Amino acid sequence: MAEPDAVQTFENGLAEIRGAYAEALRAARSEPELRLINGRYVGPQGELTKLLKLMPKLPGEQRRELGQAANALKQEIQATFDEALQSIHRSAREAELTGPPLDVTLPGRWQMPGRLHPITRVRNEVIDIFVSLGFDIADGPEVELYENCFDKLGFPPDHPATDEQDTFFIGAAGSIDAQSVLLRTQTSTIQIREMMKREPPLAIVSPGAVYRRDDDATHSPMFFQLEGFLVDEDVTFAELKGVLTLFLRRLFDEHIAVRFRASYFPFVEPGGEVDMSCVFCRAWEGDRARTTQCRVCKGTGWMEILGCGMIHPVVFENVGYDAEKYTGFAFGMGLDRIAMLKYGIPNIKLLYENDVRFLSQF
Amino acid sequence: MLVSFRWLQELCPVDAGVDEVAHRISLAGLEVEAMEEKGKNLTGVVIAEVRAKSPLPKKDKLTLVTVFDGENELEVVCGAANVPEPGGRVLFARSGAVLPNGMEIAPRKVAGAESNGMICSEAELEIGIDADGIFVVDPDTEALPGTSVADALDLYDVILDIGLTPNRPDCLGHVGIAREIGVLLGVGFTSRKAAGPRRSFAAAGSFQAGEPTTKLAPLWDNDSEAVDTPKLPAIFVEIADGDRCPRYGAALVSGVKIAPSPFWLRYRLHNLGLRALSNVVDATNLILLEWGHPIHAFDLERLAGPKVLVRRATQGEKMATLDEVERTFTEDDLLICDADGPVAVAGVMGGRDTEIRDETSDVLIECAYFDPRSIRRTSRRLGLHTDSSHRFERGVDPGAVPRVLASAASLIAELGGGAAATTAIDRISIPFEPNSIRFRPARAAQLLGTPVPQEESLRILESLGCQVVEQGDDAFIADAPSWRPDLGREVDLIEEVARVRGYEEIPTAVPRVHPSEAGTSGLLKFVDRLREAAVASGLYEAVNYGFLSIDDLRKARVSIDAVPLANPLSEERSVMRTSLLPGLTAAATRAQRRGATEVRLFELARTFHPTDDTLPREDTVLAITLAGQRAGWIGGEQSFDLYDGKGVIQAVLERVFGQKPKLTVGELPSFLHPKRGARVTLASRPVGFVGEMHPDVGDDLGLIGRVIYAELDVEGLYALSEELGPTQARDLPKYPAVARDIAMLVRDQFSAGEIADALREVSKGLAESVRLFDLYRGDQIPDGHRSLAFRVTYRDPDGTLTDKRVDKVHASLAKLASDRFEATIR
Ligand SMILES: [Zn+2]
Repeated sequence: MAEPDAVQTFENGLAEIRGAYAEALRAARSEPELRLINGRYVGPQGELTKLLKLMPKLPGEQRRELGQAANALKQEIQATFDEALQSIHRSAREAELTGPPLDVTLPGRWQMPGRLHPITRVRNEVIDIFVSLGFDIADGPEVELYENCFDKLGFPPDHPATDEQDTFFIGAAGSIDAQSVLLRTQTSTIQIREMMKREPPLAIVSPGAVYRRDDDATHSPMFFQLEGFLVDEDVTFAELKGVLTLFLRRLFDEHIAVRFRASYFPFVEPGGEVDMSCVFCRAWEGDRARTTQCRVCKGTGWMEILGCGMIHPVVFENVGYDAEKYTGFAFGMGLDRIAMLKYGIPNIKLLYENDVRFLSQF
Repeated sequence: MLVSFRWLQELCPVDAGVDEVAHRISLAGLEVEAMEEKGKNLTGVVIAEVRAKSPLPKKDKLTLVTVFDGENELEVVCGAANVPEPGGRVLFARSGAVLPNGMEIAPRKVAGAESNGMICSEAELEIGIDADGIFVVDPDTEALPGTSVADALDLYDVILDIGLTPNRPDCLGHVGIAREIGVLLGVGFTSRKAAGPRRSFAAAGSFQAGEPTTKLAPLWDNDSEAVDTPKLPAIFVEIADGDRCPRYGAALVSGVKIAPSPFWLRYRLHNLGLRALSNVVDATNLILLEWGHPIHAFDLERLAGPKVLVRRATQGEKMATLDEVERTFTEDDLLICDADGPVAVAGVMGGRDTEIRDETSDVLIECAYFDPRSIRRTSRRLGLHTDSSHRFERGVDPGAVPRVLASAASLIAELGGGAAATTAIDRISIPFEPNSIRFRPARAAQLLGTPVPQEESLRILESLGCQVVEQGDDAFIADAPSWRPDLGREVDLIEEVARVRGYEEIPTAVPRVHPSEAGTSGLLKFVDRLREAAVASGLYEAVNYGFLSIDDLRKARVSIDAVPLANPLSEERSVMRTSLLPGLTAAATRAQRRGATEVRLFELARTFHPTDDTLPREDTVLAITLAGQRAGWIGGEQSFDLYDGKGVIQAVLERVFGQKPKLTVGELPSFLHPKRGARVTLASRPVGFVGEMHPDVGDDLGLIGRVIYAELDVEGLYALSEELGPTQARDLPKYPAVARDIAMLVRDQFSAGEIADALREVSKGLAESVRLFDLYRGDQIPDGHRSLAFRVTYRDPDGTLTDKRVDKVHASLAKLASDRFEATIR
């Protein structure tokens, strides 16, 4: 069965392969090329593979010897292949490490997050400050009882104090007579609701949408307010000043000056308004020339920012608290205004147009 | 409220400059919002004497005037018809002067003549409103040619614009503000007497016998010449509704001549925003601005005497007011009537038929105190807000009636050249009772957080006009003055003390806050988490108005059972939204119109729904819309479709809940595409929907392209999150998983999801996940079919899986697919 020619062919074949493979493999410049060349020797149709298929035809006495030689060669090829592959990888890495950089100006590839509305951002900032001082957050309905929005807050009946808050009433068109339900004009309604629900001590801030019948360059018929109040025994005006000064300095700048002016809101007494150093001309830095030019504070260096006061005893009486035992303070601010101040938003209408070009700035 | 600083200086001995005064009163509650200096912007405008005048040839309306401006004789062309004769004086703007409106005066040729300057009207100099002719200087005014107009006419003043709060009616006149300044700057204030008329008469006989009267003469600062009592019908006052008219006074001035007011008066009214008309009417306005107390002047001859009756209107009663409008009244309106009927709407506006005319000779001056609430209701009902109603509805000083009458009678007599009656009717139906208020310095200290010495409190309150009626060791009782209706209880006095001392005197302190057990409600915190999740998932937050039009709702096919506004600003914003859809999709469309290619918006806000209760139900909703193209990486944009909507819902809910929602086919809102939408469930609970907008609705709303819209019920999600509690950690698998694929050809009617569920189910707990990784339609796939390929990950939690076991289970999956879903396994 043995074919003497087979031995010859086999030996010649091995010798041929042995003489060529190393150079061929080392000449490959890329991994696919290397694998292709490698396949020519050891692939299913490779030269060495073909030789190995001749094994059964070899005479018994030489089969073992030649078989060992073929296997040794196969291992050598493998070793050379591994070495060549490693070298290709290394030079590729080398080329990457020393070659031209990637075009880093191409767009990033990820699902980008969206943005919070500037009013929400400001609301969160304000809330965070008060929460860190121990205040809770509460809210209430936007459609409210007249009682909660005015009467219980101490607005006298038929009093011009309600004129300051031109009110939307709920009802069939034109039915102004039934004025018992309205769109809340102020978040102070939540004061009433929370006090009717809970007993002191109370420390609450309540942000939310409010509505007034004003629609012009500087007014939006819906806007956002934040109301805060603290009720306990022995709460003082001095503490009101302390809390609001701290709040404004944390929100805007620790250097701003804060001043309290007397003012009037039916549900507080004494009542006040709070001015702070103009944040546009950074009035606290004392650059008079810059402040004089400032259109925002009209050269005064001050801007109005909050309303506040000690909760009027009539409010306590209306919610069933002992007005002699408890005192408290309350304050309110326009979140729209704070957002406009903080982000330099020139026009309140921008806040409600939902222009993506605007929203994407925050 | 506009206030003249000059006038304040006349009323109160204040030395401080206007800036200091403005600052002090602003801090104390009278906020000065603006200040305008008068008489400053008229440099180059001087008194000039007319030396000659002649009509310009062929230009009959123009006059060539030679004036002497103190330095030169100049020729100037003037278009006014009232150029005075030589010797008369005019206001002359020299070349180079700049008028308040910005016009620069320069020599120029007018109709062939050289004109060197300009002869001005009061309107051109903004010192009045008369634009009909030039201003001719009164012969009594001493001013040489060349004198600056500001000096000659004494134009210097500073006008303060004070934003008065509605609790301070006492400051609606200069006297009240002067009193405030006196207190705040520590210079004191004493109410001055009126100058007094040159001529007066005893009223006896002018009033019906027994009529309650008050003497005016002692309130005058002069001895007037007594003249004969004129023959007038004996009038009397009857108050039929004492609650609404606690006090009614009436004074008489006889023999006036109606004429224009002198310049100083017209100028003052002009600066304070009122229009000068004639001496008597101007006088009533000046008194209003001085005392803050509205008065009304009737033409006595036109009053059908003798009775002046203050009564409520009968329903439907009519009268023409002096603005020539016929008004109809209700029984809630208070009227001033004569024998023939109404002559004035009490405290709001006088009647047309009894107003002062050019022929008026005898004047009846009304000064009353009306119930504020009544005046306010009438004023609002009539839509008639006047300087008078503005003050009465805030509460004028009932105690000031005699002084105001004395001032008014004196001024009208002086300006009109008439004589004033020395007494006036003063009918009181309800005497003024001061509020007696107990003040405890200890309470003030407790409230303010700083000690308040009793002596200082006393001094401040007395300087404000309070009368201390009782004094103890730790408290005193003070009567509030009649001009301060806002002082009703102890805190009001504490505020007075605090603000007069200055809020800056109160120290700052940090309170001890008792944190509550419950803290902020879980719902509010949950809402914030959702909002953050929406942003993290790529959405931009929109904020829309809560109201819109019923048409917006109808077009969007959402509920039109909406909460209506009784007094909307416009039809476009006349009902509360029942859905966030119209607002949010409109915002998306607007963004697309402005060029945005990819719009990803959300809104987390309330919708409003009528109920049987007084208040509507307010639902908190998270709405999402996607419109336009989802951006690929450098090209590769694709229109948003349902799967983007599904993806974003998944992203939001997974972030908050740590688990995936499920989409199921089911009944969809009618604004969604019936075949391209799904209901969203989470932990088997329905929580919302997502889908493509119905194309018809899209057309009605003007949407661009296929718009995706989704809604999640925030309160429902919150309840679910409470129920599910925090995510519980699971053990990590101990044994390796084995993955096998299964591909099948299946009819479209079977959803990938239900096949995957069924495969998982039949695996007897071994299939940890079944994931669709390939979906193919096209060549070689019959119509109505698709090729689905799932990767099944097998894992036995209790041991290593053998190939044999996996093969067996995998085969059962294939069998199930072909049996239940008629699938051809590929
Ligand atoms: Zn500034």
